[in-house]
This record gives sequence, structure tokens and C-alpha cells, in this order.
Amino acid sequence: MIVIGLTFVLSALLYLFLQEGNAEKTIEQPAQYVHHSVSVDSTRCIATKEFMRANHMRVLNEWRNSAVREGDRIYLASNGSKFEKSLNTCLECHKKNRLFCFNCHMYANVKPKCWNCHLSPMETP
Amino acid sequence: MKKVFLPLLMVSVLAFIPYVGVHYAGLGYLFGVVLPYLAMAVLLGGFLFRMVDWLRRPVPFCIPTTCGQEKSLDWIQQDKLESPSSFLYAAARVLTEVLFFRSLFRNTKAKMHKGPTLAYGSSKWLWLGGLGFHWSLLVIVLRHSRFFLVMVPDSLQLLDEADRFFDITLPAFYLTDALVLATVTFLVLRRLRDSKMQVISLPADFFPLFLIIAIIIAGISMRYVTKVDVMPVKALMLNLVNFGFEPPGEIGTLFYVHLFLVCMLAIYFPFSKLMHSGAIFLSPTRNQCNNSRAKRHSNPWNSAIKFRTYSEYEDDYREKMKKAKLPVDKQ
Repeated sequence: MIVIGLTFVLSALLYLFLQEGNAEKTIEQPAQYVHHSVSVDSTRCIATKEFMRANHMRVLNEWRNSAVREGDRIYLASNGSKFEKSLNTCLECHKKNRLFCFNCHMYANVKPKCWNCHLSPMETP
Repeated sequence: MKKVFLPLLMVSVLAFIPYVGVHYAGLGYLFGVVLPYLAMAVLLGGFLFRMVDWLRRPVPFCIPTTCGQEKSLDWIQQDKLESPSSFLYAAARVLTEVLFFRSLFRNTKAKMHKGPTLAYGSSKWLWLGGLGFHWSLLVIVLRHSRFFLVMVPDSLQLLDEADRFFDITLPAFYLTDALVLATVTFLVLRRLRDSKMQVISLPADFFPLFLIIAIIIAGISMRYVTKVDVMPVKALMLNLVNFGFEPPGEIGTLFYVHLFLVCMLAIYFPFSKLMHSGAIFLSPTRNQCNNSRAKRHSNPWNSAIKFRTYSEYEDDYREKMKKAKLPVDKQ
């Protein structure tokens, strides 16, 4: 009983705390979408294959936060070239294989939240 | 404080071995395939050996420790769980002990107050810490099934999702990761803070705690900080559970540290206090029924007694008894 009670109280507190944190951020920055003229370069990846395999979820998370919440939509890669911070930048190349995301994610039993909002390559013709 | 720092040093050295072995010597096959098989063999073999060894030991007396009214006359209410008289309730008593640590819930603490007065009070922290630690470890082990099974069953998937309930950070933060670190820290500090606990603690108490902490830290940093490519990890694990001998792919060194420490824990397990996981089921003070008045408990140590009945005695001495004019049953 004590454990269940503690868990509930803790979760309620943490939830409130997180709600507050998110609310502050959104009020600060009324995100205004300005379409920068960055050519969507899809001839090469933004980083090495090894780095992307282990870190792609972090890159996408950072992109989501800075692009949607702060309106910063340009990504400067380590080799100096610029990319638009968009899932489409990745998909421009990677959607050619419709199972590109799903193969590994099914295998490793990881369910990404991308497709809660975005259309996945499986859902687009 | 040698008994604290020696285990700490041992765990540090153990964590360093796979780092050197894989990063510099390139012994990925040894640490990724050979050692896990060896560790599993030692764990299963050792665990089985000790359990069978204990099961073969005779239990001379009926010695359940009870804390309730035993089965008596019909109008006296029996405390069936605390003083079980049937196998079912004895089994329920063992299971509730294993799952909820009921005996730790009764933990008391003696404290000196002004006066001086010695007072005993309820102390639930060890119960709460121990319960949190063991349940978290269980959930974490079950969660790891996603590396060992091609398809994770729905029940385990649900458990995983419940553990990611807060849905913060990326990859999603697991509640049990924080809980297991908090409780294991408490379990270490409990032994260090109190002088009485310090005296009775041994290196064998600190070593498994430090080893588990090291495993947790390696695992957590692999998930949240220093990323490791999951694909070859799953390939290696599927290969291992299918008894294959394929060499592992390119995996970060931190994974080998994690795996090596788990192997060390598995090898250490049958030789250590960690065997309490199996022994709790065999504890005679807990798994026996309190029915010594209803059912005779025969001591297997007693040698067979040779009885001599009266009729045998009379057969031997009948003639002499008749001469002495003593009454006999049979003429």
C-alpha cells in the first residue's frame, strides 16, 4: 500500500513538474516558421554511418526541439555543410527503402514515436 | 575500512579487464561468446549443485518459526498463514515472504532515549529498500528479454511500457533504473552509516553490492550517455541463446564491460550469499508445517530401534515362568 501510494504521489508530482517546464518554454518562444532557403542535400548523410546507427534518435530529438520550439531549422554538420532540420531531409534518401526504419526497429523491439504525427514511408505511396 | 575498499578495488579491476581485453587485445570472441557460456554453465551447475546438496540434507526436527496461534481446538481460531498446519498455507507463507519480505516488515530498531530509556520502534526502511531493490532487479531482468527473444510477449511489452510511463528523455527513461540505483545506494549506506552494521558487514556483503552497482552504471550509461549500437548486441544475444558460436560484430567496449561484470556476477553467484534466492525456499524454519502434535516428525538421524515384544519375551521364558508359577498368556 505504501509503495503504491508513494508511486502515485511521485508520479503526480513529476507530471506537474514536467508540465510546468514545458509550459514555460512554449510561452517564451512563439515559434514562427520561416522557411530558410537551405537546399535539401540528400546525396550524403549528415554524419558517419557508425555515429548515426547509435545516435540517430538523439539527432532527431535535438532537431525536433530546436526546430519546433526555437524555430532554428538549419543544421550545421561537422564538415561545414548545411542541412534543413526536418525528418524529410532524412527520408528524402532513406524512404527509398520503405523498411529502412522498420527493419531494425522491429528487430530490436524499439517503438519510435515519430509516426505518432509523421507519415512513415510505409504509409506513403 | 579495508573491507569496503578491497571489494571496491576488485570491482574496478574487474571492470577494467574487458576494457583492456577488447579495446587493446581484441579479444571480443573470448568476452562476447566463450565467457558468457562459461558463466552460465557455472551459474546453472553451481546453483543446481547447491540446491541438490541442501535438499539431500535431513531435517531432524519440526522447527517452524511461527508468530500466530497454531491449529488447536475447534473454538480457538488458528492464524493459518502465520502458523500453517497444511502444505498449502506453508507454501503461501514462503511465497509471501519471497514476494513481499514479510519478515523484514516486522523489523524493529532499538534506540536509546533520554532517561536513559531503551525503546524499540518499528523500522521499515530496510524492508522498503530491499523490496524496491529486488523488484526493480526483476523488472530490469525481464525487460532485457527484448535482447534474448525475437518477438517479445505482450505481457513483457506491457511491463516495458509501464516502466517507461513518464516518457521523458530519449531513449525513454526507465523508472526502475532510478529506483534500483536509489535503493542499492541506500543498501550500501545502511551498512556504512551505523557502527553496529559496519562491524558485522564483511567484504562478501559489499562485493556483490558494488558489482551490481557497476553493472547498473555500465547499463545506464550505455542507454543514456555513451551510445552503443543495439543491432550487433541483439545479434550476439540471439546467437548465444540459440547456442551458436558466431563471433560478435562491432560493439562498443562499454557493452563488454557490462557483459563481463554480469558474467562475473553469474560465476560468483553459487559461491556467495546470493544463494539466498534459492535457499529461502529450503529454509526449514519457514517451509515446514506447524503440526508436530497432529503428525509425528521422524528424525532421519535416528537409527532403527530393534523392538522386543512381550510375546517374544514370553516365548523365550515360558517354561521358566511356569515353573515359578508366573501367569502366562499362552500355554
